[in-house]
Amino acid sequence: MATRARVVRMEPPAATGGNALLVLVGLSVVFLLIVALLGVAKSGGSLISESNFLYVALIFYAGAGSLYMGFGVTGTPRYVRYASVATSIGLAANTLAVAHRWYLSGRPPFASVYEMLLSFVWAVAAMTLIAEKKFGVKIIGSITMPLAVVCVILMQLLPSEVRPLVPALQSTWLHVHVTLAMLSYAACALSCALAMMFLIQDNFQTETFLAWTSAMVSAIYVAIVATRFERWGGLSVTGWNAQTKSDIFLGQGMRLFVTVPDLGWLFVIAALAAIAPLFLYFAGRVKNDGSFYGTANKAVFISILLQLVVVAAFVLRVRDAAYPSPDQDGLFPTSLAASPFLLGGMVTGIFASLLYLMLLWRRADLQGLLPSADTLDRVTYKTIGIAFPLLTGMIAAGAYWANRTWGSYWSWDPKETWAAITWLVYAGYLHMRITRGWRGRRAAYFAILGFGVVIFTFLGVTYLLPGLHAYA
Amino acid sequence: MAFSLSFIPKRIHKTFANLRTGIVLLILVVIASAMGTFVLQRPATDADKLAQAYSPNTLRWLDRLMLTNVFHSWWFLTLLGLVSLSIVLVSVDRFPNAWRFYARPYRKTDWHFRAALPHKVELPIKNAEDGLNAAERALKKLGWPVERAAYKNEPSLYSERHRFSVMAVYIVHASLLLIFAGGIIDGAFGYSGFLALHKGQTDNVIELRSGGKKHLPFAVKCYAAGQDNYADGSPKKWWSKLAVVQDGKEIESKEIVVNDPLVYQGLRFYQSSYWLDNRAVDSLQVAWVAKDGKETPLQLKMNQPVALDSDATVSLVDYIPDAFVRDGQVFKKSDDIENPAFGLEVKDRATAEVSKVWLLPAHDIVLGGENLNYQFKNPTSAQDIAWAAVTGLEVSHEPGQWLVWTGVLLMSAGLGVAFYMVHMRLWVVAIPDAKGNLVLWVGGQANKNRDRFEQKFNDVVEGIRSELERESAISRPVREEQPELTLAGVKQ
Repeated sequence: MATRARVVRMEPPAATGGNALLVLVGLSVVFLLIVALLGVAKSGGSLISESNFLYVALIFYAGAGSLYMGFGVTGTPRYVRYASVATSIGLAANTLAVAHRWYLSGRPPFASVYEMLLSFVWAVAAMTLIAEKKFGVKIIGSITMPLAVVCVILMQLLPSEVRPLVPALQSTWLHVHVTLAMLSYAACALSCALAMMFLIQDNFQTETFLAWTSAMVSAIYVAIVATRFERWGGLSVTGWNAQTKSDIFLGQGMRLFVTVPDLGWLFVIAALAAIAPLFLYFAGRVKNDGSFYGTANKAVFISILLQLVVVAAFVLRVRDAAYPSPDQDGLFPTSLAASPFLLGGMVTGIFASLLYLMLLWRRADLQGLLPSADTLDRVTYKTIGIAFPLLTGMIAAGAYWANRTWGSYWSWDPKETWAAITWLVYAGYLHMRITRGWRGRRAAYFAILGFGVVIFTFLGVTYLLPGLHAYA
Repeated sequence: MAFSLSFIPKRIHKTFANLRTGIVLLILVVIASAMGTFVLQRPATDADKLAQAYSPNTLRWLDRLMLTNVFHSWWFLTLLGLVSLSIVLVSVDRFPNAWRFYARPYRKTDWHFRAALPHKVELPIKNAEDGLNAAERALKKLGWPVERAAYKNEPSLYSERHRFSVMAVYIVHASLLLIFAGGIIDGAFGYSGFLALHKGQTDNVIELRSGGKKHLPFAVKCYAAGQDNYADGSPKKWWSKLAVVQDGKEIESKEIVVNDPLVYQGLRFYQSSYWLDNRAVDSLQVAWVAKDGKETPLQLKMNQPVALDSDATVSLVDYIPDAFVRDGQVFKKSDDIENPAFGLEVKDRATAEVSKVWLLPAHDIVLGGENLNYQFKNPTSAQDIAWAAVTGLEVSHEPGQWLVWTGVLLMSAGLGVAFYMVHMRLWVVAIPDAKGNLVLWVGGQANKNRDRFEQKFNDVVEGIRSELERESAISRPVREEQPELTLAGVKQ
């Protein structure tokens, strides 16, 4: 009791009306549920299916995210109460989805990227509720819920059918290894969110947030343009084989790319629009002129609109169409499912920009609602104190399992190596904190960097650096 | 100092005992490891693929800098060695202090110490001995061990829990060194290789991954191997029935599957792959026709004679994947399965006369044995030919792995202690307060998780207070030092 009394220094401003958002979110949730229900009724399928549960979870997570953000903006305490309820319902639906899949396949959902994301989202939602109840960080959901939504959207695009376990995965160690991995990754996600909250509370300049957000969005779009822009303004995406539900392969590890005409230019424009605020920020820094920042914020707004246009255009053009390929004659079908990471990156960019807008407009309210910087700093450390032993256990279990399957406990496989790098980054954090007394900002940077490495290890390595660890 | 390593020059010692050096080394390890994942690595990637990915010039430089085999290069191993050295020296430098702290706990308090302590409360008492007795009872009731101490006429109590947690850091670092040591031993004395066995084959020569061959003092025999499938045709299980054979005697046998190797004399044999060897035949399904036109199916296994009737036997003796016929003779053309030929030998029991018959199913030709009483028919479908099953065994010898597992267990324990075991200390002293009234001063400290400790500390204070109340009615209200450090649970 004592801790909470101190941690939650949250005397929210008197509830000012503030029913609008509740009604809006409530109606959307009900509407989406009815639409889904009608869809199921029409197709005559069973209500009890994993994809339906997951859909319900998605709706409630999205609703919770909106309410958490609404709470951040208006400080209406009712929002956070309903957001918690929505998160709990989402978590319950997510649990049912996991349980149903588990029941059907007779094993925990740990064996593919889809299944791991299913567990990861579950862990993130559960930890959000724990952080809220235990640490009193009420607003954490405004970061973790968008993350959950991005993951569930990503999952809609990934192959989700239940495949039988390949021989190497038939081991108890699979369960130990993946459970530890998902828990530690979720704890890392939480520590990253807490570190960001700390930076807000620590009077980290809004302009610096502007720079980092723009840098991240720019990086996403520049990376897409750099790797996917084709001559004459096309955008290359992976071809999709609808029968086998997989990418089209030319040879071993060589995907067939098709070119969507003119879409490339749109991405170039979006990349430029994302870089503009960054450029203006640096101009403002160099000239020491604050008026640049105002322009930069306007540029962020334009960038968000453009990002929305780009996503819409991408979805419309790439969904179930057919385009020519530079490598082979003929038209090849495309599908959103073939580009989960392009889409994931774009949605992440939009969420990041929206979070920045929330900060820009409602910073004072946010700061009034968050626990003190000191508390946030300590809670970040505590979460990493949970994540690090779990991470160690994950690597150890993986090594022991590898020793029984691959014949060696350590093969310097990319996944192994990056897990070790993640471990070293957090080990560095702990050393700097404990022996060098790193508190506050520098520790927060480290926590955010750490989660960046986690995401790369989790998803980046799987898709960019294939190796022995080919399952996920 | 007992731990000084005087043989290391002071400058080097100082450099490596510095945490900053350690962090720089860790950053270098991170960069090097990351490079090792971005640059394609030998020998995991074969030469063709490397040549395809990089231009010859780039590849030459990558090779020269050993970036194509980062994790086994001398500079990476040196880096890991320096990290170990750094860990050792940092620990050696810090350990004596920590040990002193561990071995000689700070039982007595003085004025300075008491002033600096974060958690403290003063409870008024009448008599030092009664007050301390009450505190001792309260602490024991709450499960704290109690020691008596006296310092400058200030009788006091000292109590602590989990002192061991201050040693956890050294356990974690020692465990990391153990893991490194295991890795080094395996790097130096371990080896790994490959052994492919046909069904029924016995072999003791493994192909080392580093190139070359190794003769084992015992042989491994494969009785059988196979693949079980799921209903959808994807592989469910690969298995091999293996036996260890030494000096002609079978010593041990086991059916291994993926995830469950055979272990003998520190060598582990893993189920790594399974395939059908197109260049060898395990069995063949054909038919033969007797003089009277009666057709009999025939199952032939390599080199195993089968009785045709009481007069003759037949056995499968030859197999050529791609054969051609010239002048009534069968010759080998290549190792690709294009035009398989199966050689049978028919042996007359009475005369021991052997005649050779060739079956060439691709062209439906039967060659030789025209004047025998037994006419053979070609196999009619691919299913009639059972190619030889081959089991691919990964063999590894890792003498250092037990050090690694010990290290891992130790590290788990160490991290558990380091993060979740809190060293908590309490001091109770009977002293006069600022106004000269006798009080029971209670102070406490924890090395982590201060919030939780605050609760525990409050419990202790409450316990002592109620013991004191029971001892004698307290007339004055409780006064606390430093009211800004409000202790939850203590009503003001």
